[in-house]
Amino acid sequence: MFFTLLKKELFIEFRSREVTLSMLVFGLSIILAFAFTTNVSKVIVANYVPGMFWIMVLFVTVLGVHRSFAYEKEFDAFSMLISAPIDRGLIFVAKWISGFIFLTLMEILVAIPFFKFLLIDFPPDPFLAIGTTLLINLAIMAVASLVSGIAMRARLSEVLLPVLLFPLLSPVIISATKISAGIMAGDPFKLWQIWLLIILSIIVIFALVGYTLFDFITEE
Amino acid sequence: MTPFFQNKTNRVWFLLAAGFILFNIWNVIYNIPMVPDQHWAQKIFYVHVPSAWVGFLSYFIVMIAGIMFFVKGHDKWDDVGLAAAEIGTLFMALVLITGPIWATPIWGQPWIWEPRLTTTLILFLIYIGYFMMRSFGGHAERVRRYAAALGIIAFVDVPIIFVSVQFWAPEIQSHPQVEMASQPPGILIPFLLSLGIFTIIYTLMLKFRIHVIKIKNRNVADV
Repeated sequence: MFFTLLKKELFIEFRSREVTLSMLVFGLSIILAFAFTTNVSKVIVANYVPGMFWIMVLFVTVLGVHRSFAYEKEFDAFSMLISAPIDRGLIFVAKWISGFIFLTLMEILVAIPFFKFLLIDFPPDPFLAIGTTLLINLAIMAVASLVSGIAMRARLSEVLLPVLLFPLLSPVIISATKISAGIMAGDPFKLWQIWLLIILSIIVIFALVGYTLFDFITEE
Repeated sequence: MTPFFQNKTNRVWFLLAAGFILFNIWNVIYNIPMVPDQHWAQKIFYVHVPSAWVGFLSYFIVMIAGIMFFVKGHDKWDDVGLAAAEIGTLFMALVLITGPIWATPIWGQPWIWEPRLTTTLILFLIYIGYFMMRSFGGHAERVRRYAAALGIIAFVDVPIIFVSVQFWAPEIQSHPQVEMASQPPGILIPFLLSLGIFTIIYTLMLKFRIHVIKIKNRNVADV
């Protein structure tokens, strides 16, 4: 059943490309804003790059998850989905994994413009950077999918989503920035392993909490 | 529904709590010895730390009420959750006000990213979102469920926030309140007394607020 739900999410997206396209364009616009506000000085930008990247991801995530859940609001598709005899926790898992795929796709497309427009060198160990980014994406989307599941059907969901999500995501953003800064600087793993542990804990905790709570949240 | 203060037990508790507050204020100002180097600034800890304790206790109760609401499905747990969230946020606001009052003379500036204060600020912001959801989230029945879920998520996030904030700025030391246990009895006992008094006040406030929410809900249902 999980794969059917995931297929549904991916199928809708690959037909309309609404989520990834809007995330991508928004991401590029943010890079442009960063470039203008820092005068693209290598000395100035280098210190702030990890933070800038994750701020961009944070904003783009809000847009993406909001759009992803907004589909379900149209024609009240979500009510039909939850009236189906399926484990509702799996709806959360499908939203989480599909969100992770869209976010990763957006990051792949936006990575080269980000580094090139801001005149930054690529990380010395790209595989480590990619691996940790994937884990961070999983953590971000675990929290974001759960919070958007709560905010989606509330009134003024577009306001509530970032208001609720940003403070809840603060440990992820701190950890993500520290990990990326460590990798960019070529620091040994020992120096930033604690942040990876925090990210892993968030993935496990929010996956379990989300899977358990989604059943109650989506009750009609 | 009988008015809150018509109940004799509530009246007695109210009078006791009022007496305790007055005694605590007197005790803190006139009786407790000064801590060397900190003088009057340290006295705010008798309000700051108990407020933080009561605030976190309150948010813990929000989480428990959220779990009970999902398990039992009874609206009374939503009332408990809402009342605890309101009072908890009030005390958290007090923590965020008293912290900088202490920090200004001691650290020379009202705000540095001390882990406990930062965790409190993040939690406070989450609860501002919680009240926004409560106020204009729309459908009342759904909002109750969302609020219960949010109360659980917020408390689950607390240790993660605290650990990440602590490692984020390791050069910033925690408040000296952690050394309270090693203080002489002249300071430690009044401090524990203050904690106890704040807990009693909190319990009474919670009981009163639940009562008010019940009346409010009944009036809404009657309309």
